[in-house]
Amino acid sequence: MTMLSSVAERLYWMARYLERAEDTARLVAAYNHLIMDIPRGSELGWDVLIRILDAEAAFYENHRVGNEQNVLRYLLAEKDNVSSIPFSVRWARENVRTTRDVLPEEIWEQINELYLYTSDMAEKSVGRRNRQAFLEQIVNRCQLINGMLASTLPRDHVYRFLKLGHLLERSDMTTRLMDVGAGEILARDGTHGAIDPLIWASLLQALSAFGAYRRMIGPLVEAEGVVEFVFREASLPRSVAFCLAGVREELKPLSNHQAALRVLDRGRRKLSRLDATNMSRDELHRYIDEFQSLLSELHQAITSTWFHPDTP
Amino acid sequence: MNESWKSYQTGNFFDELITPKGQPRAAARGAIRLLQQLPTEEMAARRAAAELAIREMGISFTVYTEGGNIDRAWPFDIIPRVISARQWQAVSDGLRQRSRALNRFIDDVYNKQSILADGVVPAEVVLESSNYKAPCAGMSPRFGVWAHVCGSDLVRDGDGKFYVLEDNLRVPSGVSYMLENREITKRVLPELFENYSILPVDDYPSKLYQTLASLSPRERRRPCIAVLTPGIYNSAYFEHAYLAQGMGAELVQGSDLLVPDDDCVYMRTVDGPVRVDVIYRRIDEEFMDPEAFLPDSMLGAPGLMRAWKAGKVAIANAPGSGVADDKVIYAYVPDMIRYYLKEKPLLASVPTYLCMREKDREYVLKNLDKLVVKPANESGGYGIMVGPHSTAAVRRKFARLIEENPRNYVAQPTLALSTAPTYIDDAVEPRHLDLRPFILQGKDSWVTPGGLTRVALVKGSLVVNSSQGGGSKDTWIVEGKV
Repeated sequence: MTMLSSVAERLYWMARYLERAEDTARLVAAYNHLIMDIPRGSELGWDVLIRILDAEAAFYENHRVGNEQNVLRYLLAEKDNVSSIPFSVRWARENVRTTRDVLPEEIWEQINELYLYTSDMAEKSVGRRNRQAFLEQIVNRCQLINGMLASTLPRDHVYRFLKLGHLLERSDMTTRLMDVGAGEILARDGTHGAIDPLIWASLLQALSAFGAYRRMIGPLVEAEGVVEFVFREASLPRSVAFCLAGVREELKPLSNHQAALRVLDRGRRKLSRLDATNMSRDELHRYIDEFQSLLSELHQAITSTWFHPDTP
Repeated sequence: MNESWKSYQTGNFFDELITPKGQPRAAARGAIRLLQQLPTEEMAARRAAAELAIREMGISFTVYTEGGNIDRAWPFDIIPRVISARQWQAVSDGLRQRSRALNRFIDDVYNKQSILADGVVPAEVVLESSNYKAPCAGMSPRFGVWAHVCGSDLVRDGDGKFYVLEDNLRVPSGVSYMLENREITKRVLPELFENYSILPVDDYPSKLYQTLASLSPRERRRPCIAVLTPGIYNSAYFEHAYLAQGMGAELVQGSDLLVPDDDCVYMRTVDGPVRVDVIYRRIDEEFMDPEAFLPDSMLGAPGLMRAWKAGKVAIANAPGSGVADDKVIYAYVPDMIRYYLKEKPLLASVPTYLCMREKDREYVLKNLDKLVVKPANESGGYGIMVGPHSTAAVRRKFARLIEENPRNYVAQPTLALSTAPTYIDDAVEPRHLDLRPFILQGKDSWVTPGGLTRVALVKGSLVVNSSQGGGSKDTWIVEGKV
């Protein structure tokens, strides 16, 4: 089948934005849950969410303090900042609108409904009362769309570029989460050891991986165990290993995949060298940083190979 | 009968569904009876359901304003317009006849020019028109067909007779709305379909596909067809995507295409360049190819004309087709039918005064308050003056415009456009409407059963364009007795 480069690019971004909307909703929901368990004065603030999303510069341009109200408004209701759920939803929709001709009819209707829901409800969901229900709706509706795509699309280029965007975004978010876990605890130098397990558990929850962790690793939640699990557990759909394996699977049938595969295999080798137990927090942070730049290199390779190749 | 219908008055116009005595017309009887029995709240609920469906299906159109482009939900009236199949057959035959004659005309003016030599159409009207594209001279597209897709606007006068108001041969739009209107009616008034045999409309994309595929310069089982859109912000983008999807064709913008030295058109794909056989062009020819037309157009692809002239790609509608889409040329269509086909015109045209003729101009200037004055070369209802609804100042302005540039203006008598029951607020009221069927012409010709009915939602208004407050209705062609 033929696939226009421009269409491939929009599909890729549609999947990234859809995944970003879902992951952001998951993250906020898990954190919302966590914060209720934290003792007063533990210095764990809402601004952590802004740091996870790498949005400090943009956030502090328009907000003086990273308090609950400001952070939640920023992530749930503001339409024009790149970290907000409405922003991701709008761009996911815009990319579906412009690739409707290759997607099943129902996808357009569903993304349109998600968009209308978000436009109607976002503002009302900043407060604690409606927040959780809103976030659940976002996650559910994103999952519905992903489920429809997975159960209706032929496994061709359309599916392939969606999956690439989807998995890359997801591994990006997973590594961000781990970095915050590492960074947050690092910053406090272990003095609030009592809440560490709570933080790691909430990170696992954001990945819907808490249950799996307990079954496969055990009930004790420890930093090293979580990091290894979330990076390396190949059977866990939100682990980095799982995402990269999926990316590899989709890259292989594409022509001119050499450059992207080279970056990907570097990532996989790096993954196999991770040894969280024997790493200092500093080393772990550096490791995650390097991993993130590798993911961005992979994105670059995909972009320059398939979306914007030089004219033949 | 529910309240909303009780005060329905057909007035002095031909009403599509109701006779002057207040009885439903034969073809519409079943639908009207059912609708009249729906309780008022139920009517409102159905309308709300239709609005919701439109929002969810994302059926929209774009209005260009100074403050930016606005995406508006498609305005739709739930009461369908019903026409009997027998009556439609005659219209359909007339439309096909017209399309054949128009295509003969375009092919003639770019080649032998016999109709000009024989003085049937004045040569200067054609050759000095900005719609005549010199680079197209000498071309002879397959089957001699240039305008593969034609959208003709029909109206019915006070006596119920159909007239052709204009033929859109450049990039006629609206067909996707015709298809979506049927889809919406099926969702919100499913019971209407129970006792009717309504001709289906949804095979349009496959008919269009067949028409386009028949033009392919390469003999292939499945030629590569691309729909060329000016882009995602165009008012008809929704339709471009809809048709591409319906045909399994690629939806491309100019930047997706390239024409290297071999004069073939290629699309940029993830597997490298792929050759295109047929382009369904939804972009004005002026913007289509900066190499051949407007050099600073960002929308087209350089080299398309070169490829077309080399016979390496088919383009529908062919560049230059617009030469027959001109309100002055329109006045000559009946003559064309007699000249090329040796047949009598089956469909009536509206009498047209050409301001370039001295006698016509005098008449027009004296009767501005009775006539509809139109620029020869605009679409979308822009630049039109409806005499009886105009002010003295507007008439003075048009008189000046006509005297400055008589070739660019035509005038027609104000028609008593037909009406149909339309659900406005809580009452059913008559509103004026027109009809745009689509005619496909390739190896064979085909006419949509019905078309897009556009309705002027403002009381008494004759302007049906969606950009100017028009709505639309599902249009049924029904067979047999109801």
